[in-house]
Amino acid sequence: MEAATATVRPAAGRGLAIRIGRRLLHHSLNVYAALALVYLLLPIAIILLFSFNDPRGRFNFVWHGFTLDAWKHPFAVEGLGDAMRTSLEIAALSTIGATILGTLMALALVRYQFRGRAPTNFFIFLPLASPEIVLGASLLSMFLNLGVALGFGTILIAHIMFNVSFVVVTVRSRLIGFDRSVEEAAQDLGANSVQTFLRVTLPLIFPAVLAAGLLAFALSIDDFVITNFNNGSTITFPLFIWGAARVAVPPQINVIAAMIFLVTVFAMILTVWQQRRAEKLASVRPEPEPVA
Amino acid sequence: MSQRPTNDFERIFEELVRDEMTRRHLIRRGAAGALSLSAIAYLAACGETGGGKEESKVIPKGQLSKTLYVANWPLYIDSKNPNKGTLGKFKKKYGASVKYVEEINDNDQFFGKVRQQYDRGSSGGRDLHVVTDWMAGRMQRLGYVQKLDKSQLPNVQKNLLDKLRHPSFDRNRDYTAPWQGIQAGIIYRKDKVKRTPKSVNDIFDPDYKGKTTMLTEMRDTVGLVMLGMGEDPETFSGVDPALKAIDKIDKAAKSGQVRRFTGNEYTKDITKGDSWLIYGWSGDAIQLQADNPNIDFVQPDEGWIYSNDNMQVPVGAPHAFTGEKFIDFVYRPEVQAPIAAYVNYVTPVKGVKEILEKQDPELASSQLIFPSGETLKRAKIFRDLKPDEERKVNEAFQKVIGA
Amino acid sequence: MEAVQRRKGLLPYLLLAPGLGWLLVFFAIPLGYMAYESLKAGTIDTGFSFSWEFSNYTHAISTYKEQFVRSFEYAGLATLLSLVIGYPLAYVIAFRGGKWRNALLLAVILPFFVTYLIRTLSWETILDDESWVVDTLKAAGLVSNDGRVLDTTASVVAGITYNFLPFMILPLYASLERIDHRLLEAAYDLYGKRRAVFTRVTLPLSMPGVVAGVLLTFIPAAGDFVNATLLGTPRQAMIGNVIQSRFQVIADYPSAAALSFILMGLILVLVLAWARFAGTESLMGSEPR
Repeated sequence: MEAATATVRPAAGRGLAIRIGRRLLHHSLNVYAALALVYLLLPIAIILLFSFNDPRGRFNFVWHGFTLDAWKHPFAVEGLGDAMRTSLEIAALSTIGATILGTLMALALVRYQFRGRAPTNFFIFLPLASPEIVLGASLLSMFLNLGVALGFGTILIAHIMFNVSFVVVTVRSRLIGFDRSVEEAAQDLGANSVQTFLRVTLPLIFPAVLAAGLLAFALSIDDFVITNFNNGSTITFPLFIWGAARVAVPPQINVIAAMIFLVTVFAMILTVWQQRRAEKLASVRPEPEPVA
Repeated sequence: MSQRPTNDFERIFEELVRDEMTRRHLIRRGAAGALSLSAIAYLAACGETGGGKEESKVIPKGQLSKTLYVANWPLYIDSKNPNKGTLGKFKKKYGASVKYVEEINDNDQFFGKVRQQYDRGSSGGRDLHVVTDWMAGRMQRLGYVQKLDKSQLPNVQKNLLDKLRHPSFDRNRDYTAPWQGIQAGIIYRKDKVKRTPKSVNDIFDPDYKGKTTMLTEMRDTVGLVMLGMGEDPETFSGVDPALKAIDKIDKAAKSGQVRRFTGNEYTKDITKGDSWLIYGWSGDAIQLQADNPNIDFVQPDEGWIYSNDNMQVPVGAPHAFTGEKFIDFVYRPEVQAPIAAYVNYVTPVKGVKEILEKQDPELASSQLIFPSGETLKRAKIFRDLKPDEERKVNEAFQKVIGA
Repeated sequence: MEAVQRRKGLLPYLLLAPGLGWLLVFFAIPLGYMAYESLKAGTIDTGFSFSWEFSNYTHAISTYKEQFVRSFEYAGLATLLSLVIGYPLAYVIAFRGGKWRNALLLAVILPFFVTYLIRTLSWETILDDESWVVDTLKAAGLVSNDGRVLDTTASVVAGITYNFLPFMILPLYASLERIDHRLLEAAYDLYGKRRAVFTRVTLPLSMPGVVAGVLLTFIPAAGDFVNATLLGTPRQAMIGNVIQSRFQVIADYPSAAALSFILMGLILVLVLAWARFAGTESLMGSEPR
């Protein structure tokens, strides 16, 4: 980390102070980031904790005692599991749809000068700005007028719709300042546009596409208002929770949340393991060490 | 004027539209429709909505169906499984499998969601929905529900509680049958209050500043406050008494006396001690007591607000006749008893108390589930408001609770 | 030569078509319907009829000025807080995450899996009047002894901040991640000081991400209503609450639609103003090639 220190050596004492200062700064940044992460995940910890609670009534607000009951029967609450599954399906499909549509749009908006570009740029912001309740009702109105049956399909359509803007804005920020020379090099070597895109551009912007996809997934799995209008009688997880939680908050909800957390942790470990393998395989060609 | 399926073709179309379609089919259909150039045309066509409606005919006798779609509030029945509990018994007797969907969390929210369909004469597949008194009244006014055939409802005729037979929003119970009743009164923390609350005005006691909450349900909150001002929510005339009460509430909110206005969320507040004395609902109190025995419910001396969630058959319901059978079925005391025991609200059916006395005498003697005698005398059903009255009072109340 | 240019000419439209088409059908048309609705008059009982009712707009602006201003204040504050909390985290993930990068990104959106209501209930558990967290805050003097944390402006803004944090972190990460490490090495050789490298190289290069994050946080936050409902009192009501109330409770669809358009208009004006101020480049990512 200290690789690029000044070549002029300061007096020993000052040098130590500077080094300590730099170390502190370096670590304090990590500590700060860790705190931010803790802040993000603090409610999850509470949720996990209360999944082991033994509630006496229908609510799970006060700690009464430790039990594994809820874990033994996680799907005891009727409809909870189905709702979760529906939500995951919709989230997965709408993420794929929105990410594809949005990435293509971002490419067009950043790289090409065409008529209607400025208005389109502003148009993208409109879905972000419109209040969900009115948007949801208007969308419902359109579906009814077209005679479309409400259910899984209409929820999916709505989710893709509001996710596209988020994807565009996120991916676009990555495409700005993208060094085209790599693409030009690839084309010089004989790749056509599609090949260049798939093998050069896409892998390079993948982190942004991934970030956008995660955002879209989160939005979809958490949406209530628009889904509530356009769902017919299909119940998603947020709809189930908002309905049920008014009358009861069984620990099974916490258990399902904890399970998702565990699955995600598992996925996280998987990506780390996979990245390690990739690094091992690439160890023939070492990458330059990151400086920051 | 709204269109209602008046002939077989339209009825069939409604069924087709309602049935599950494959997702691909849906999207293709939707896309095809959307790409048509009728955007402007339909914009113009969907101009008029609402308005006065004509009298609906009584539900004709029909055949029992194989399925029934019931839309209700959460935790209002012993089991949602069509083969178990009440629904299982219904299936056994009538052969219909009930699709029970707990999609109603809030009257306004449900209305906002279904009104466009109801306006077109389609129920979205629903055969029964359950809404609170005033929303039931609105549904009727707008022609969104069908008139019940009383000859198909002998148990309702026989067993409906006397107090509920002639409510102001449906004088002859032509369109509604109560599902469960709700008491709105005071919930309080025995360990936090200085003495047991007796009056609705105890909520304005400065000692409890910042530790009280009121309900976002206008009629419950305003009704209770009105009782504290000497007005009768059942019989007051004009809107002034209500507006005066709202003014009092406004002052309490601005001064911080009332911490916030809630729906069911008050349960968390009072369990944790964030609030000590609140306006709340009896059914919640019973559940809260299990979590914290220091919590209790009291019907104030001036009176308490009695409301009901009512079953109605929406327009265009595909199986209206079977829906009526369901309504009548749950009015048999022996069928209602397990529901009452599970739900812990006020059952509208006579004869249930006697049945439960044998199984669970403590439950049967609870004034929260079977209010009787003195308690029942103090019950007040908020009177039906005319549309412009409702609008005035709603607007005033909404302004106070922060909109 | 001409063939290439012609193909280039069509390409942007082809790329744009699916996404834009989707938005035009499933957003613009409903939006048009909303606009039509906003110019109607009437009530749910007498029916609504189209009558170029522009008074819906003027009435809305004059009646709800306070809530509009408050919404932008809260959204602005929440955006600032998200930036302060989120930037370092995004930075660490991008530059020091290494193989943990994707895992950490997943961790960032993890809270969204448990639905807003449960997240908020958990926060309410952590911050309720008698929790040790609040007691600590009281002891530290941050909260007055007879005060509370919940049902205040602070809790509403905190709620908005918390729920929009991933909207800030993910775009920031997307933009930070692409910064070429060799650039930073060169910068160190040039400036020698860590801070200079950051302010002169990293920060400017991450600006598109900052802009994206700010927009993705501020814009939806301005229309939020759930946080004010669950974590606030009537004094914290935002314009989203008004729209919610007028739509659902009063069933006054024209005024709810008009309010929505005013909100959207104001937001776009703010975005435009910032675009002018910050320079359209970073905002629009205009890169004519």
